[in-house]
Amino acid sequence: MRVGPVLALAQLASLSPAARAQTDTQLPTIAKECGEIAAADTPLPHSAAALRDRRQLRILAIGASSASMLGGTRDTMPLLEQILERSIKGLDVEIINRGVSGELASAAAERLKIEVALNHPDVILWQVGTNDAFAQVPVEEFESTVREMLQWLRKHNVDAILIGLHYMKQLATHEHYQAIRASLRRIVAAEGVLRIGRYESTEILARTLREEGHPEPSTFGLNEGGYNCMAQYLARAIAVGLFAKPSPKPRP
Amino acid sequence: MPRQANAVDFWRGFALVSIFVNHIPGIWFERLTHRNVSISDSAELFVFLAGWSLGLLVSSRSAAPNSALLVFRLGGRAVTIYAAQILISSIALALLASAAYAFDNPLILEWHNAAAIFQEPALTHIGLVLLSHHLGYFDILPLYVVLMLTAPAIAMLDRFARPALLPLSFALYFAALMVPFTARTWPVEGQWFFNPFTWQALFVLGFVLSRNMGMGAIVRRHIDGIRIAALPIVLVTAVMVVWNWFPDPTALPEPKLLFLNGKSFLTPIRLLQFLALIAVGSAMYRPVAPHVPWLTEFLSSLGRNSLNVFCVASVLSLVGQIIRYRYAASFMVDTVVVVVGISLLWLTATVSEWRERQKSQS
Repeated sequence: MRVGPVLALAQLASLSPAARAQTDTQLPTIAKECGEIAAADTPLPHSAAALRDRRQLRILAIGASSASMLGGTRDTMPLLEQILERSIKGLDVEIINRGVSGELASAAAERLKIEVALNHPDVILWQVGTNDAFAQVPVEEFESTVREMLQWLRKHNVDAILIGLHYMKQLATHEHYQAIRASLRRIVAAEGVLRIGRYESTEILARTLREEGHPEPSTFGLNEGGYNCMAQYLARAIAVGLFAKPSPKPRP
Repeated sequence: MPRQANAVDFWRGFALVSIFVNHIPGIWFERLTHRNVSISDSAELFVFLAGWSLGLLVSSRSAAPNSALLVFRLGGRAVTIYAAQILISSIALALLASAAYAFDNPLILEWHNAAAIFQEPALTHIGLVLLSHHLGYFDILPLYVVLMLTAPAIAMLDRFARPALLPLSFALYFAALMVPFTARTWPVEGQWFFNPFTWQALFVLGFVLSRNMGMGAIVRRHIDGIRIAALPIVLVTAVMVVWNWFPDPTALPEPKLLFLNGKSFLTPIRLLQFLALIAVGSAMYRPVAPHVPWLTEFLSSLGRNSLNVFCVASVLSLVGQIIRYRYAASFMVDTVVVVVGISLLWLTATVSEWRERQKSQS
């Protein structure tokens, strides 16, 4: 399900007065050139608890290129942190980057347990799938690894946000790439976690640009603008997730 | 003439082949490497044997009797390894760029931490040269460079204050685990995959145990008893790995790094298991080697030329990844990648030894 700004704003409007007074929140905006975010209004209950208790929100980023998805330049704090702190008054964010480039989901999952034990994050940003798709990891193995890890995170009171695969026109017919992508959608549906649909967002953006007669962003993701769009998607999704109403338990 | 096959070169060759295979994630043959039944893997073996070789070098008759000359020689070795790291990183970047163009897929430019090089080349090139930016799977040589830069200090401590060497090394090891601290990466914010402050302990252990004096002598005297004690550790940890029977890291007491299983910090359970594994494994060379002379000679030739073979293996692993991406991976493709790759490693060792012979004859 895609959430437009109207629905997200409606969710913010439905906040309890105490929450609104405490946070003085504005929904982070997404620049026009970034297109529209494809993400569900999945709640982030443990992160919301951090905000409610006026604790620092600890975000742990893991997976390939995890540093780049945080956005911003090297000499400033990550753009994601800037947007969140600007948008939600009183929110103190700390971002811990533990990405290891080239790492498969199985290796990242092992490290993730250790990082949770050492850093006590409230929410995990897990960029997952692209390396497994390129390394031709069997879909069932990938799905089982990610699902087990998400269940472990839930058991340990940590929210999870999955950042899906990159969009590339050339990969639209890559069988394994698309199979891993479909697998990630199944995982999200089954586990009830938030997914940033980067593939769909970029695909829509590419189509729009094409229809308007502009060149397609064939290297989207490989430039600062692309990374900054990702930071904006994330900030929007986190802000919405902080105030979204709890959903029913995930399907078994 | 190259030196005769021996256990150290044999196991180093074994580590090199394992590293080549393990650095092609997802390849079928990965399941045949010893990390599937061991907490530690070939990285531990590689670093331990690097320390062992340093010990042999320092104690050999050809080692410089003059301390200044020894420091100079060891520093030169660090520079050689540094140059190798810069070379293979450059080749890896060119390979990624070539594959991105050839397959019309810019995503390949983002593989293995390469994105920063292409997106922010000015700062990241400085990071590459300073060894603060590593490509994924090209991160063990920076550790080796740092260890070799400390080699003169290790050799001097060994020469003038031997009893202090191991305690100092382990004091640093436990401090890095308990504080904890590690080396940072730059310009991409992060940590070194191999924490040099903890991995140095394994290097120093290799150095100390290679010597026929001090702890090395004690271990040799009691090696049979040590092997009997080590065998249950090897077996129990193998079961733990196969069945994934590790305690929940969040349930462990503080400081957690003393108790959990982590490769980056070379946590004590990995170190202990590795020492047990080599105590047991080292008993295999003497009875097995005479029965498989071709394998013994093959692995030893790789081990004798470890730096050249390691560099070629690193590049070939990346080539293997690109091939697996391009041609939908199958057992057949994986077999071709591994057979051709290992053959090229052998060719590298053979050419390296041929060059050495030419040099010694001229």
